[in-house]
This record gives sequence, C-alpha cells and structure tokens, in this order.
Amino acid sequence: MKIPYSQLLKFIPSAPSMNEISEKLFQLGHEHEINDGIFDMEFTPNRGDCLSLDGLLRDLMVFYDINQNNPIYTKQIDKFEFDFLNEENNACPYISFLKINIDNNIKEYSGALKEYFDDLNIKKNNFFTDISNFILYETGQPTHCYDANKIDSPLKLKFIEGDHIFETLLDKEITLTDKNLAFVSNNEVVNLAGIMGGKSSACSNDTRSVLIECAFFNPEDIIGKALKYALTSDAAHKYERGVDPLCHEKVLRRFIKIIEEHTNILSINICQFKYKNFEKVKFKSDFKKANDILGIKISKEEYQDYISRLGFHFEDDYIVCPSYRSDIKNMNDIAEEIARVVGYNNIRSEPLTIPLISSTLGSSISFENKLKDTLIGNGFYEVINNPFGKGIDLSIKVDNPLDSNREYLRTDLKNSLLNNLLYNERRQKLSVKLFEFSDIYWLSEGNIQKKRSLGIICSGIVGKNYLDFSRKIDSNYLYRLLDDFLPKNDNKVTTISRENIQTKKQDEIVYLEIEINQLLNNESLEKIKHKEKNIIFKKYIPISEFPFSSRDLSFSIDDPSKYYDLQKFVLGFKNKLLKEVFVFDFYKDEKNEVIKLGFRFIFQSSLSTVTEDQVNEVMNKIISHCLAIDSVNIPGLKNLKY
Amino acid sequence: MSTFKDIHPPEVATELGAYHPINQVKDYLVNLLKDLNFNELTGPEIESEEYNFDMLNIKKSHPARQMHDTFYLQDKSSVLRTHTSPVQIRGMLQSNPPLAFVSPGKVYRKDDDSTHLPMFHQVEGIYVDKGVNFAQLKDLIHSIIYSIFGKNIEIRFRPSYFPFTEPSAEVDILSDDGKWLEILGCGIVNPIVLENCNIDSNIYSGLAFGLGVERIAMLKFGVNDIRDFYKSNLDFLSQFK
Repeated sequence: MKIPYSQLLKFIPSAPSMNEISEKLFQLGHEHEINDGIFDMEFTPNRGDCLSLDGLLRDLMVFYDINQNNPIYTKQIDKFEFDFLNEENNACPYISFLKINIDNNIKEYSGALKEYFDDLNIKKNNFFTDISNFILYETGQPTHCYDANKIDSPLKLKFIEGDHIFETLLDKEITLTDKNLAFVSNNEVVNLAGIMGGKSSACSNDTRSVLIECAFFNPEDIIGKALKYALTSDAAHKYERGVDPLCHEKVLRRFIKIIEEHTNILSINICQFKYKNFEKVKFKSDFKKANDILGIKISKEEYQDYISRLGFHFEDDYIVCPSYRSDIKNMNDIAEEIARVVGYNNIRSEPLTIPLISSTLGSSISFENKLKDTLIGNGFYEVINNPFGKGIDLSIKVDNPLDSNREYLRTDLKNSLLNNLLYNERRQKLSVKLFEFSDIYWLSEGNIQKKRSLGIICSGIVGKNYLDFSRKIDSNYLYRLLDDFLPKNDNKVTTISRENIQTKKQDEIVYLEIEINQLLNNESLEKIKHKEKNIIFKKYIPISEFPFSSRDLSFSIDDPSKYYDLQKFVLGFKNKLLKEVFVFDFYKDEKNEVIKLGFRFIFQSSLSTVTEDQVNEVMNKIISHCLAIDSVNIPGLKNLKY
Repeated sequence: MSTFKDIHPPEVATELGAYHPINQVKDYLVNLLKDLNFNELTGPEIESEEYNFDMLNIKKSHPARQMHDTFYLQDKSSVLRTHTSPVQIRGMLQSNPPLAFVSPGKVYRKDDDSTHLPMFHQVEGIYVDKGVNFAQLKDLIHSIIYSIFGKNIEIRFRPSYFPFTEPSAEVDILSDDGKWLEILGCGIVNPIVLENCNIDSNIYSGLAFGLGVERIAMLKFGVNDIRDFYKSNLDFLSQFK
C-alpha cells in the first residue's frame, strides 16, 4: 500500500522527518520502501487494520500526537426501505446501504480527494468509484457503488454454486466455479461479494443516483477468490485481512461529506442491517505477565500508557480491544504491542542455558550417515531431488500441481536419479556416481504409506586413476562396494537399459534402490563409526557452462630417477585453462626396465569454449618441459600436432 | 638415486564424493543446536491440515492455507508440510515439559521461480519450560547467529507475524555491502499452541525459531542462485567436499 509522506504530515503537527517516521514504522514492524516521498508499505497478514491512512496513523499515535479529525457529514440521515435479502448472515453479519441522488454539476476534484489522486498519480474512473477508492485508501473500509437505476430489487446475498458467467466492472468476463458469495439481482450476479462488482450495475460518469454498499464479510468466505479469478482487488485484499465491523456509519458519513464537497446532494437515505451483536474482545489485564513474557521491567503506568495510545482501553481489571484489532486475543498479543513500542532491539538479552533433557523420541539419521560415509568414501555424490513427477496407479495425486508434469509424488527414486545421471553424462563426465536418501509415499487401499529409501545410480569408469581408469562400473562393482550392507541373496542391484534413452553412451547404468529398514539389522553396520564432518565454508566458484576439451600424453622413462620428477611437474602444473590432470596409465616394463606413464589433461574455460590453439599452447609448454627431463620420451610425438 | 626396482606406482588418490551441501548445512545447524541441548526430532513430510495448520493456530483464512501457497494431496485429505513445525506439535503431544526439540527436514510451498523453490529445507527449534521469555530468546538467537556468522556480525530484530508465536520476530544480519538480510524467524510460543498440545500455558512458556537452510547455505558458500543446489551437477557438488 502506498502512502505519501506529505499526507502523513498533515496529521502530525510535530512534523517528523521522513527518516524518523521510517524508523518508527520499522520499530512497529511495518516494512516499507520509500520512493519519491511515498511509503510503499507491506503489512503482516494480521494487521489488516493498518491498511489505510487512518490505520497507519492510529499505530503511529503511540509515538506522536495526531490530529485525526477528517470532517464527516453530521446531519441526520433518513432511513429507507431497501429490498435486500441476506441469506448468509454468518458470512455477512453487518451491511449498510446508502442511497444518494445528486444534481448534474460535479466540480473539479478538490481537497483530500484531489490530493489523493495527485499525490499517488492514480488514474480516475468516475465520480462515485473515485470516491469509493479514496475512502478505501483513507479508512480501509471497502465500499461498492451501484448505479441505483441499474439495480433491480430484491438484491440478494447468497452463496451461488456451479458455473456462472460474470462480467466485472473492468470488462473482464470470468466463469465463477464452485461456491462463491455473490450479490444477485434478477438471477444475475451483479457483484462478487468483497471482490469486485459487475459491469451491468456499475457506475459511470453519467450516474446521478447511486447505491453505496458498505459491508463486513467474514474473511474465510472471501479469501483466495481474487487470486482464483485473477482479479486485482484492493477490497478483497482488505476483506481477507479483516475490516472494522463497527465503522460503517462513520465511513458512509465521510463518503457523503466528500460528495457534498463536490456537488449538490438532492437526497440521502440509509438502510442498515445488523444480524448479530458485536462482542467486544476483552480479557484480564495482567501487567506482570506482559513483563514476564518479554523479560523486561516496565512500570504499570508505562504499560497502561502504551496500551491506551494504541487504542485499547481499560474497564476495571480488563483490557478492551478496539473493534478494528481483530488480531488481539490474549496477554501474549498485548506483550507484543508493548515490545513494538519499547522496540525489539531495546529489549536486553537475558542469558539462557537450556538444561539437558533426555528424550525417548529419536530418529535414524546417524544410521543413514554411516551409509553416506561409505558411499562418499568411494566417490559417490549425494543429490536431493524434488518429489514431483508423473504418476502410476499407486501415486499420490497433488490437487494443485505446479504443472501437468508434476501432478504426482514419485513412488521411487529411479527416474530422478536417472535424469541426474544423464544430465551429468551430457556434461562429458567420465564417471557418474550418485545417491539419494528420501522418504517415499504411495497409496495402498486408499491410505498413504511411507518408507525411507536409498537410491544409488552409477555408470562410466570406476575411478580417475591408473587402476580404475580402464574398469567400467557394473553390477559387481556395486555389489562388492555394498557387500557389508545388502541383505544376502537379494538381487537388488539392477541395470537400466539405454534402449529408450537418448544417449550415445554405451556404459552400463547400474541402479540400486532399497528401503532403509531392510538394512537396519545388518551387524556390520554397527562396526562403522560415523564422525560428524566439520563443515568448511569455502566460497563457491561459479561453474563453467562451456564444454571440456581433453588431451592424453603417454611418456616413456628410461632413467628411474626421473620418474618422480616427471610426475611432480605434470601433476603440479598450473594453468587457468587446465581444470584437472590425473594419471590414467602406469606400466613397469620389467624386461626393458622402462616405465610408461600416461596423463589425461582436461581443459575448460569459464569465459568461452576453449580452442584447439589454446589447448595446444598449454600442451606445448608441458611437453617441452617434460622432454627437457633426461630420459623422458613421448613415443610417437612426431605424429602429433603439438 | 632410485633404481628401477625402487619405483613405486603413482599414488592412487581415492576420489571422494560429497554430502549434498544443503545436508551439510542442515547437519551443521542441527549439531550446533544439539550442542545447546536440543534433541533432534523428525517427522512425516505428508501431514494433516490439523497438524500443519490448526494445531499451530493458523486459521482457515490465513493466506498460507490457500491452494496457491500449499500443496494439497488426494482431494485435500493431506498436505505436503509447509514447515517443520508440525514435528514440534507431535513432539509436544508425546512428551511433557521441559522439552527442547530441533526438527530438520524438507518442506514444500507452491513456489517455483528464481528465488523460491517448491521444496526447501528448514531447521526449527522449540524450547518449553517454566519462565521462558523473549529476552532469553534473544540470547539464544544471538548464540546461534554468532556461531554461524561470527561474533562481529550485526543483528537486528523486527516485529513480525507468525500465528504460532506471539510476540513474533524476524531477525536480520548486516551484510558486508551494508544491506540487512533476513536470516530467521522466531518468537514466544503462542499459548494457544501450548494449550492445543495439552501444555498448561499458565505454568509453561516456550520459545521457537526457524532457520531456512538454503538461505544460510547461499550466504555461507556464496551461491547466488538457489536452483543450483538442485541441478545435481557434479561440477557444482564437487566443490563441497
């Protein structure tokens, strides 16, 4: 909600600076930004009472003397019989209608109405709708204006069910579905209650006879409707957060006053319906408890002063809440009011030591960590996937999915992990080893079932070293790795066919999915001691999206004493394009006493795709340095382009 | 001088994998809170509306309960939990004060854009005992934030609104570039919630707080895009060994 600083100042004689007001608003818990002298306010959902100029001023009253005396129409207003049928008294316990006829002479906007449009640079609509918008801004109470000549009585308020076509006053046609609270006339929806009026009864610049509706709607009957029908409605925003049920007369008198400032009023009549008595919220005032909740010591006088300035009053030992503060229920709420006034940051900390409390409620986290340690020690990476996907018969359906591809909860981890693996294969990974722990949910005879599962997927070479480089991951690899954990004679490890997968890779994809409970009784796990990892918060280096380029070099070394020199140089070589180097081949030719050593160099740039020339330049440096080492040769070098 | 027989094969460096960075941070936070005498407690991700909302004093009119914020399942018979607070409800129903729980885990909200994900992680804590107050909550929050960000970090508390705590606060830290960053939400447990869990609010009071794991991971690791955590990209994951 936008409120100009200039408009606040009109009511605060001490004229605090914009920064000072900003600080006070933050202290009160009202977040905002300031743009061009306008406070763009964001209120928490419980503070619907602040969603207006008057509401904000009421809260600031705890810090400032405020003259909140907007003129209202004070003469007596005659009643009129209005044929209104409220079939939903609980959804709308209070409603008023004001009927006004004016002459044709509407002057240019002046006073508060003009300032509202000028200060906030708001587009005008028509006279009555403009006043309604202004009243909403100033008081927080929505009103709706019908062109009285376009409304046929009786007017009914009721829940309508099923599909109904409704054209809003903003020319948007929507189909109302399910159950909606609506005003209906002649079987036509003329107003989606609390959200937006209809085009058929809307005011225009020609309207001279207006019916103004001012209502209190139960927030639960309004909430979500504007969003459902993609309607932008300030009225709905306010009704959803709660409005003051006792403000109607004052608001309507203010409405009349604004009309009166702009034209001659020919007649005014009012009709008010009250279906239940408003019950004041009051509870025993407990000054000591407020202090105890906050851990502070303010005097009783200060306590009473703060609470009174916020609009509460005291009746004997009771606090009586103002009708606009529907969020206040008990002394904890009052303690929060005190804390806002004192300032959260001004409450001094009090040392707290939580006693050691034994608990019989536990979790199986430590067991999982032992399994994770084993997998991570063998080069596996933990992944986390979200649980949404396509469904099968047993899948749990999401009523309101993000999209049609995420309509169900997954019943296993396979598809998620397979997608993870293929994603990394497309990124030229020689070896992909992943695992995921997750709760899995499914339906059984209509009931939701749960299990905790471990999924493991792997493919490619076993490892980036000379022993494992030529070994490919297969089922036996995973069986050997998990021999201690898997139930015996249980063929859980499978391979996933690449037949229907868009990939050129041929490596076997090995997959295991197992319920954690199936591993719990394995004695060998008891031997594993999980040690909590000391986390190191290294700053992340953004990864490159450009492809790799790799080169292999195989060396022959005749002089054993130079073998270590070569290794040291190559493995220690640094270049910004050289991302990784490892030994992929080692062979001791006993007969000829020659050592063969193969290195793989992987290049990647964070700025662009590495070029052949860039790679060759680095490789030439490496080669020339290596060949300068006695007895080091690169068989077949003549045929290379380096 | 080495002879041919002296030659040893190159060292076979075991290539380690890594815990997921979010789980690393989650475990780090849980251990930090365990050191402060909180007991770890986990619970189901599919919850009833009663545990996820009603018991926590989240009324039917609260925006969080709307279809645009919460994932409903099986004709609204259940929800994907929107926070780990229902675990605390279960903990309070199963034990008597004093009690101190920390509940880590996945939570779900109907968001999917560059700054919000439909699934993320929370670590929430609750402590219920006699005489627990807001000044003590501030002390605890200072301890937690100093442990994570160091003792030189500047902290501020702002009034906020959570139906399950009253008073409620949001806590910000001052970043190096002078901006306040929201770090956690906290408050004094609403007596309505205690009573819902059969705890006499005239005798006991409680404090509660909730940390967003992704938020802290992003700040501590310097990751700018929350979506990077869930691409399962080995180039990304391998940086968190």
